[in-house]
Amino acid sequence: MNLSRRNLLLGSGLAALGAGALSACSTSAGGSGGSGGGSSSGLALWYWNGGLSDKVVEASKTQFPKDDIKPNKVGGDFKQKLQTTLTGGSFIPQITGVKGEDMPFFRSVADKFTDLNEFGAKDIAATQLAWKWAEAQTSDGKQLGFPIDIGPTATFYRADILEQAGLTSDPTAVAAATTTWDDYYAFGQELHGKVPASFPVPSLATVFQIIVGQLSNRFVSKDNTFTGGSDEMKQAWDTTVKAQALGINANAGQNLGPALAAGTIAMDLGAAWHALDISDAAPETKGKWRIANNPVKPTNFGGSFLTIPSATKDKQAAFDVIKWILSTDNQGQAFTDATIFPADPAAWKLPALTGGDEFFGGQKTIDIFGPAGEKVPEQYVAASDSAVSAAFYNELTNVEANGKNPDQAWTDAVAAAKDIASRQGVK
Amino acid sequence: MSSASLDRGFRRSRSRPPGQKPAVTGARRNPLRFWPQYMAVSPFFLLFAAFGLFPLVFSAWLAFHRWDGISPVTFAGFDQFRFLLADATFRKAVVNTIIIWIMATVPMLFMSLGLASMLNSVKRFKTFYQVVLFLPSVTSIVAVVIFFKAIFDNQVGVVNQVLEAVGLSGVQWLNGYWTIKIVLAVIMTWQWVGYNAIIYYAGLQAISGEVYEAAKIDGAGVLRTFWSITVPLLRPVIIFTVVVSTIGGMQTFAEPQVLFGSNASINPNSGGPGQAGLTMVLYFYQQAFNNNNYGYGAAIAYGVFAIVAVFTLINWRITARAEK
Repeated sequence: MNLSRRNLLLGSGLAALGAGALSACSTSAGGSGGSGGGSSSGLALWYWNGGLSDKVVEASKTQFPKDDIKPNKVGGDFKQKLQTTLTGGSFIPQITGVKGEDMPFFRSVADKFTDLNEFGAKDIAATQLAWKWAEAQTSDGKQLGFPIDIGPTATFYRADILEQAGLTSDPTAVAAATTTWDDYYAFGQELHGKVPASFPVPSLATVFQIIVGQLSNRFVSKDNTFTGGSDEMKQAWDTTVKAQALGINANAGQNLGPALAAGTIAMDLGAAWHALDISDAAPETKGKWRIANNPVKPTNFGGSFLTIPSATKDKQAAFDVIKWILSTDNQGQAFTDATIFPADPAAWKLPALTGGDEFFGGQKTIDIFGPAGEKVPEQYVAASDSAVSAAFYNELTNVEANGKNPDQAWTDAVAAAKDIASRQGVK
Repeated sequence: MSSASLDRGFRRSRSRPPGQKPAVTGARRNPLRFWPQYMAVSPFFLLFAAFGLFPLVFSAWLAFHRWDGISPVTFAGFDQFRFLLADATFRKAVVNTIIIWIMATVPMLFMSLGLASMLNSVKRFKTFYQVVLFLPSVTSIVAVVIFFKAIFDNQVGVVNQVLEAVGLSGVQWLNGYWTIKIVLAVIMTWQWVGYNAIIYYAGLQAISGEVYEAAKIDGAGVLRTFWSITVPLLRPVIIFTVVVSTIGGMQTFAEPQVLFGSNASINPNSGGPGQAGLTMVLYFYQQAFNNNNYGYGAAIAYGVFAIVAVFTLINWRITARAEK
């Protein structure tokens, strides 16, 4: 092809398009990039979008003018970036957020973080949720993280669809009718029988992760042995796959949003922050949802921490900033700004939380999530837990999407989980 | 620097007469004399050293170690490779990758050839068609996958709505073993069919019109002309696209990652229901970056390397035979 002016223009146009596409990939990682580096001057604070209230973070600058706080909203894979920075050893932030699901991993490298008990965290913890603080404690009692928020679980349900099925839609009555998983399934069968387009179980994984949260041991025990094949785990599995056998599983793992909007999912299980998923996916269902206690007992999904890396020079100053950002009042402010559910029970009594939620028909959701937050059982989560659990979740999708025999799936899941566990150094 | 010294340096790099011992000249003893030339070629080598060579060597070293990305590294010998050979999930990922690659590449290259022939016979708006064909390949893969995810949605996707409108029942596209692979193949085909068509089109233009004229005089029809003239004369171009598609297809990652990565914190990057979309590179990513198992991740990466090498070797054999 001859290089005419026309072709040259065309070529450069395409090149510009290509450059645009490339840069589009990287914009998410930008944030306020660079401003919160890790230079010796100033106090760099790393968090992610929605991890803290931006207003509170902004106010902390005027509260601590001497510290020169430099907030940095880190985009992309937060854990990956923090891990790389801690390994690299330079530009380490003075304060950083750690997501709840990443805490077991970072707890396994406790020497990278500061023991907050040296700065008086113990006194604060005494009046707060023991199980949440324990998530960020090492076996020798070091307190690595100060809890930002928690994710107590509950049952979410569509009051209008329950009424349509001739069932009760009152939160207390729904909770009373679903105190065990068998009750929940019976209730759900009635619902699905009367309204065949609606289901009480979104996907098997939704049920399984709550039941596993109710067990005494997860997939790897405290002494680092594999417990994924235990009797209680097998019971959890059998209870979960029963939803498939009863035909009450919507199997909507890949299309949760549309299924929530269409009323295919009439009952859902999730943490306090799951309310946001529902209101984002199905805004037109506003006012139709309610919340009730989930079967057996509440569990917890997620909930993050603020930590001080051990490289931080002025640890006392960093701790004072954390204490202020996560004070009772500021946790209430964070709930108002970004629906961050306070980890401090004292904040639940603030007007920001005690009001009714319009999305839930004016229901005071704190009446459910508050007591649930108090009752979450303490459970040990190993660093290898999520890797090992993957085998079980994979086989659950085989059961619901491909009709695999549940007993065969259990056998395969345990075998695959053992393999992963041995690669992860689990006994 | 004078142009004379440039010439000298250039000439010396050519082969010297056989049997003659290499003359040790001042220039050879002091390579610094050629610093401008070294400077000129250095950007590539520096970038390659930092982003190509170092990761290559480091991952080879990592494959014999255990590392969670932050704690001290410990030696593991051949453990990671033993795991790899016994790992049923890796075998699943290899099979998935090959199936998706075949489903995407074979129909795509035929379609590209067809599009290129059509483009070759178009008289007006040729540039417009070229731009349209090229656009998908420069579109952000994330945007493309999110778009296709909506189209193939199990419940409200356009594809299912069309199927239901013509009286068929909807398909759970993102749940089934084969349907997941079909969706991935469709995405890859959509993105690269135009790109390959442009390459074929360039090849078609290089075929002289006289050959076609001669065929016409000899009474060859359209199909005969296509199979006896177009395809054989395009063979080098076709082989090029097959090789490039093979290397690309074996490393499929972003498509399944975005398609099933959105509902994250539980079981991320698992490749969807039944792991039907788990490709080799996605498995490597999951093991290294989700499970913090960098040593095993590196071993998988070298497994991928070996498989791509085998396929490249097969390609090379076919090419060599074609040239005989």
